[in-house]
This record gives sequence, C-alpha cells and structure tokens, in this order.
Amino acid sequence: MKKIPLLAFVLLIAFSGSLFAQQPVKLVIAGRDGDYGTGMQAAVDAYKVLHPEVTFEVLKLSGDDIYQKTVIDLKTGTGSYDIILIDDPKALQFQKAGWLADLDAIYKKSGQKVDADFFPNLVNLCRYPDNATGKLYALPFIGNVSLFAYRTDLFAKYGLKEPKTWTDVLAAAKKIQTGEGESVSGVIFRGVKGNPIVTAFLPMFWAFGGEIFDAAGKPILNSPAGIKALNYFLELAKYAPKGTPMNNTAQVRDTLLAGGAAITPEVWPAWLGALNDPAKSKVVGNVKVMAHPSEVKASAPMLGIWHVAIPAASKNQAAAFQFFQFLTSKDTQKLMAMKAGLPPSRASVYDDAELLALRPWYPAVRSALIAGKARPRTTVWSEIENILGGSLQEALIGDKSADQALNEANAAIAAILQ
Amino acid sequence: MKPSGRTRGKAPFYWLILAPALAVMLWLTVYPIVNILFTSFQSYNYLTDARHWVGIKNYTDILGDRVFIRSFTNTVIYCVGTTLFEVSFGVILALVFYGEFRGKSAFMIMAIFPMMLSTMVVCAVWKTLYHYDIGLFNYILKSVGLAKIGWLIDKDKALISLALVDIWQWTPFAFIVMQAGLSSVPTEIFEASAIDGSSYRQTLFRITLPILRDQILLLLLLRIIDTFKVFAKVFALTKGGPGNATETTSYFIYREAFSYFKLGRSSAASVITLVAVGLASIYYLRKILRED
Repeated sequence: MKKIPLLAFVLLIAFSGSLFAQQPVKLVIAGRDGDYGTGMQAAVDAYKVLHPEVTFEVLKLSGDDIYQKTVIDLKTGTGSYDIILIDDPKALQFQKAGWLADLDAIYKKSGQKVDADFFPNLVNLCRYPDNATGKLYALPFIGNVSLFAYRTDLFAKYGLKEPKTWTDVLAAAKKIQTGEGESVSGVIFRGVKGNPIVTAFLPMFWAFGGEIFDAAGKPILNSPAGIKALNYFLELAKYAPKGTPMNNTAQVRDTLLAGGAAITPEVWPAWLGALNDPAKSKVVGNVKVMAHPSEVKASAPMLGIWHVAIPAASKNQAAAFQFFQFLTSKDTQKLMAMKAGLPPSRASVYDDAELLALRPWYPAVRSALIAGKARPRTTVWSEIENILGGSLQEALIGDKSADQALNEANAAIAAILQ
Repeated sequence: MKPSGRTRGKAPFYWLILAPALAVMLWLTVYPIVNILFTSFQSYNYLTDARHWVGIKNYTDILGDRVFIRSFTNTVIYCVGTTLFEVSFGVILALVFYGEFRGKSAFMIMAIFPMMLSTMVVCAVWKTLYHYDIGLFNYILKSVGLAKIGWLIDKDKALISLALVDIWQWTPFAFIVMQAGLSSVPTEIFEASAIDGSSYRQTLFRITLPILRDQILLLLLLRIIDTFKVFAKVFALTKGGPGNATETTSYFIYREAFSYFKLGRSSAASVITLVAVGLASIYYLRKILRED
C-alpha cells in the first residue's frame, strides 16, 4: 500500500511534464537552393534559438524541383510540407486550386493583422483574385526585382552619361565594346532557353510598349512594339559575349564581378551580395545599380518575388504560422538581407542604416519594387515561358528573324490557351 | 518435353512462391505501362483534374508537333551515332589491349572511371570545358590559332557535343564487355590460326569478330536502349537548346509531364518512344536468340 502514493507522485510528475512542456514539433520547409537557401537557413537557425522545441527539415530545391514536388504533394493532400515557397508566376495555380491555407482566417483567429509595412503591390500578388480585396494565401518572402547595372568607371572613361533610355544603353554598349575590344563586353545577360532569356528580355519588351496579352487575354507578343523590342534585343546582343545562349546566372554574375562587362541589363539583388567585397569583386565602387531605363514607356522592372505560404494540408499549421510570422518579421527580413543578400519585402527595412551601408544599392531596389511589373497571372505560365524562351533563343542564335520568332511564339501560345 | 506428374503436382506450390515476385512485377511494370497506354488516349491535366477521353488526338497532335518531331529525330540521330561509335571504339580498344601487359589492372580501373561518375557531375565539368568564352577547348583552339567553336551554342554542333560526352562516358563500358568476351575465347583458336598461316586481318574478320558477334549485338542492344532515353545530358547541358537543336523525346516527355502536368500528351509521347525502343530491341533480340 505504501507504494501507491509513490506511484501516484511519479505519474503526476510525468503528466505535469507532458501537460506544461511545449510539444516538440517538426516543420518541413520546401525552400529554394542557393542564396535563398542560405537566407532561409539563417532564419531557421535564429528561430531554433527562441524555440528549441521546434525542429526543421529545410529542403533546398531548384526552381523546377520545388514546383514539381509541391504541386504533387499539395494536389494529393499528403501534407508533407508545412511551409512552402512559390515562384510568383506560378502562384495563381496554387491559389486557384485551394491548396493553400487562408491566411486572412488564420490572422483573424489569432487576433492579428497583416502588417502594413509590406509593399502593398507585392501583398496584392499574394491574394486571390489578384487585388486588394482577395483572400490572402501567402506573403512575399522576399522583395525580388530585376535591376539594371552599369560600370561608372567605363562610362566616365568614354564620356557617357547615365543611360535614361534603352537607346542610350545600345549606344553606350557599342562605344565601350569598340574601345575596349575583347577585354570587356558591352553587355552581358542570360541567354539560356526558357526562364533565363525571357527574364532578360521582358524589361526591354515592356519598355518598348510590348505586352504578352491584351485586355481580353489574347496573346499579342508579335505586336509592332514587341517586334521592335526583339530587334533591339538582337542588336544589343551583338555587344554581348558569343557564349550568351549558354550564359545563366553564374556566368552573368561572375562576369559582372570580374569586370568583364560594361552593362548588365538584368541583375537580381541576390546576385549582388559580393559586389563590394574586394576579395570577390574587381569592380568595388565602380558599379551603379538602378531601375531599368525607359523607352516609349516608363521603366518596367520585372517583379520576381517568391511567395511564402502554408499548405492547407499541413499537419502543423499552428506551429507553421508562428514560424511564418517570424520569417516575415522585420528583424528576420533584415537578417536574411544581411546574411544572404535577399531583398526585404517590408518597406521599413530599406531605411535600416546598417543594411544600407552593406547594400548601398537598396534604394534602387525599393524604387524598382514600387514601379515593378509582375508577369501575367495565368495558370499556363510554364508553357508560355518555354515557348517564348525557345523562340527568343532561336532569334538570338540567328535561326529566326524577330518577327518570325514572335509570330510563331504568339501562334503557339494562342494554341495552348484555346 | 511434357512435365511429369510429380512436377505437375507441385505446380500450385511453385505458383505460390512465385506470386510475391509476380505481384511486384505486375504492380511496378505491367500496371504503369497499361496505365500510360490508357492515359495516352485521354486529355488529362493533373493540375486541374480535367480528364476525358479523346481517342487518338494526343497521338495526332504530337506527331504534328514540330518540337516532338525534332525531338524524335534528334533522339534517333543521337542514339545511332553514340551507339555505333561506342561499340566500335569498345571493340577496337579491346583488340588493342588484348592479352596481359604490365599495369593492365590500373589501366582497367582508369578506363571504367568515367562510368563511375554521376552524369550530372560529368555534365557540369563538360559544360565548363565547352563554354564558348571561357572553356578549355576553345582556349586551346585559340592558342593554336584556330577559330573558336560554338560547342553548345551552334545549332549544328550542339547535338554532336552532347554525343561526345556520352561517347567519352560509355565507351569504357563497351570496352570492358568486349574485353570480357575476348578473354573467354580459348587462346588455342588463335594459336591454331597462326600455325595455319592466317594473317591478322583474316583472324580478325573470320575468327575473332564472328566469335564476338553475340556480345556485339548485346552491346548494341544495351546502348540503344540507354541512349534512346537520353535525358540528364540534355537537362544539364543545353535544356534542349539552342532553339530545339538538342530536344529529345525524354526531355519532351519530362516537360509535358512535370512542367505542364499534361499527362495525356506525355503518356502518348512515352508510348511512341516505348514502341520505337521496343522494335529496336526485338530486332536485336531476335538476331541474338536466332543463333541460340
């Protein structure tokens, strides 16, 4: 009988432990590789210090892999992931299919609101339908936007002013290339088929007045403005390295840092992390980063944000939401910008003096984010990008003329939309 | 020969022990093939779950799709080219290195090294070597006063460049298979032909190659099956570019299935590829088995 009180005491201790201690939970994140992975890992490490009961599995996947894996998992409702990243042009598919948790409802339930500090145009992309009143399914993980960079020392050497228009850019590229010979290319951009070449082309296309769809959703890539833009692109490519059709992020970034090009018409904030590091860059203090030049239309930087969302099928939605708030907080946005060069999606972080000292081009990022243009909201963007990317590359290698390439791309895109 | 009564009596037992393996095979091989065949007659968008019967429309669409036709043509050219080169080089190397010599073991290990590497790693290295502006090959060409070559950016050379990587990686396989075949031939045959005054050429074409015929056919079959499925090299080196110069059927299927999630079209393309590889396999298998 003496053993009964002892047993009761042991059970009480055991139960009280399980009742009052925080339950261990494991969050699985379908994240990106490269700098995005570094940034996410920094956020996860910081969170684990505050919440040791939470463990993480961070998947660092390529753009293609993350799309395939998340689509298959979310479609089957398996609930393998608790936090996912989605590339902006593919977000509509996820929103439309109802695969994502309704964040408005979760915020409401927790008695909180989405902070007004996020750039409103970016938050609107995370709503479905895409406007200020649609339901919120994600928040912008980072404020990624395409930018323009040029070498101030070379422009000064050749008596050139900062380019205001794409016509100025072409003239500068020609003059510098002629003067520098093979040692420095006039321009460098990505020419790999698919997303890279499309992303390089779109800011020019938009500035020349080109549009992918008209107001009725009909493809109009081959409009006179579109063809003029592609002819300009091909003219500009004459001052790019011959290997451009093979050039992707690594080649463009490394050439920029090595001082091998005068103008980089497409740079992304995450590529610029080492720009002012003398150990990695030969152009410290000699590169100006700015929003794209204009032409017949105003500067049109391309928004390339990644959405962060909680799948509706996640089995740990409460814990995921806690981490989600931490990930999108001001402090974590700054941490990811400092550690990995990921541009914040909150406006106030761009006022941080410490961050501006490290990333002096951030005011240009902020301007570009405000003026930025998103790719069309469609569920078939992968196909459009592949068709257009293939045609652009065929034009780049001289296989097709500008009008032939865009006429064919337009017809193929019209066919898939039927 | 008819089975004896005793064997017939044990048939249920044999079926019982075979059943698990048979079930796994049906599930992993037969079911997917039947499913793909069935899906190939449907318009099936995995993203939206829209699925309906369209008969042979996927086949007619694909056979009228210039990208698929280009993919198929490229695949056949790549497959035939790489297979012929790999098997020919394999036979030549096996003949050159026939017999015992000092350092043979070390040489064999070095020879199989390319096969042991991951294709993605191999492609990452070759991609750098092939780069027009910073690649080693063009650096060498330029340093000896020759013009640079657009290995992966010239639409007329890109497929050949992909094939060269495959030939580099898989010729050692052909070499090893032929080496093993050659080693299994009794040396007395060659000694006897030498005593009879046969020249090297006569021995090669009248004795060695006829004896190795089955191994060569098997090698052709294995390399055709493998090279027809080429995917990783295209994915890692060119993404099907420049233009559509290196599009292949596997890459086409991958894009339709995992970028667009159009499973009907990708299934139809898979069936066409399967039929092509199947026909080639049957041709070679019949040739091999006919002799047996």
